[in-house]
Amino acid sequence: MSAVEWIRFLIGSLFLLTGMVIFFTELFGVFHFNFVLNRMHAAAMGDTLGISSCLIGLMIFSGVNFTTLKLFFIIVFLWFSSPVSSHVLSRLEVATNPKLSEHCEIYEDVAVLEQELAAKKDTEFTTEKEAYKS
Amino acid sequence: MEIYHTLYITLLIILSFMLLICLIRAVKGPRIADRLMAVNMMGTMVMVMISILALMLKEGYLVDICLIYAMISFLAVVVLSKVYIGIYEERQHHLEAAKGGEPDERS
Repeated sequence: MSAVEWIRFLIGSLFLLTGMVIFFTELFGVFHFNFVLNRMHAAAMGDTLGISSCLIGLMIFSGVNFTTLKLFFIIVFLWFSSPVSSHVLSRLEVATNPKLSEHCEIYEDVAVLEQELAAKKDTEFTTEKEAYKS
Repeated sequence: MEIYHTLYITLLIILSFMLLICLIRAVKGPRIADRLMAVNMMGTMVMVMISILALMLKEGYLVDICLIYAMISFLAVVVLSKVYIGIYEERQHHLEAAKGGEPDERS
């Protein structure tokens, strides 16, 4: 193999190995957390970043042809479909779990949460200001 | 190209082990959402495996199969979630009807 071929091989295999590491992180996260909505956070990473990285490595191996275009379309489709499936799964969990409040805080109204967050931000801002003054 | 072949075989072996671990998650998962999430992860890994096979065997049409696999996996997750929400609501409805129905029968 010539030098250019070697460089292409190295870059492609670097992308593929990055994808494998991200898949491994995903599996680690899925076994590490102990609630579905936390696990989903780890699982959504592999759906977008892991497979994109693997397929970009394969695109570099494949060169410029229709296979590369199809691999690109798979990445684009997964970018659209993965958030939707995560959203539907979390709706399933929220709708069917009667003991949801044991695992996470539940706000009946979003406005209450927004007010709390705004109050928190104000207090943090004032404390920072005081610290800056003193 | 010997080195490409070696790389592809190594990646396929690693991916198949990861697939097995995903299957353990799907069996262990205490709730339905866990199992559906594990199936979704397995779908992602199988997509990478099919793409690697497409380049390894130099058969471009396998990538089409990969695209269709992505669509069907997405559809399966969405439809199963909707079906389980429907089943749960129907069961709750039956329970409430049974609770509400008992006093009527006594009176």
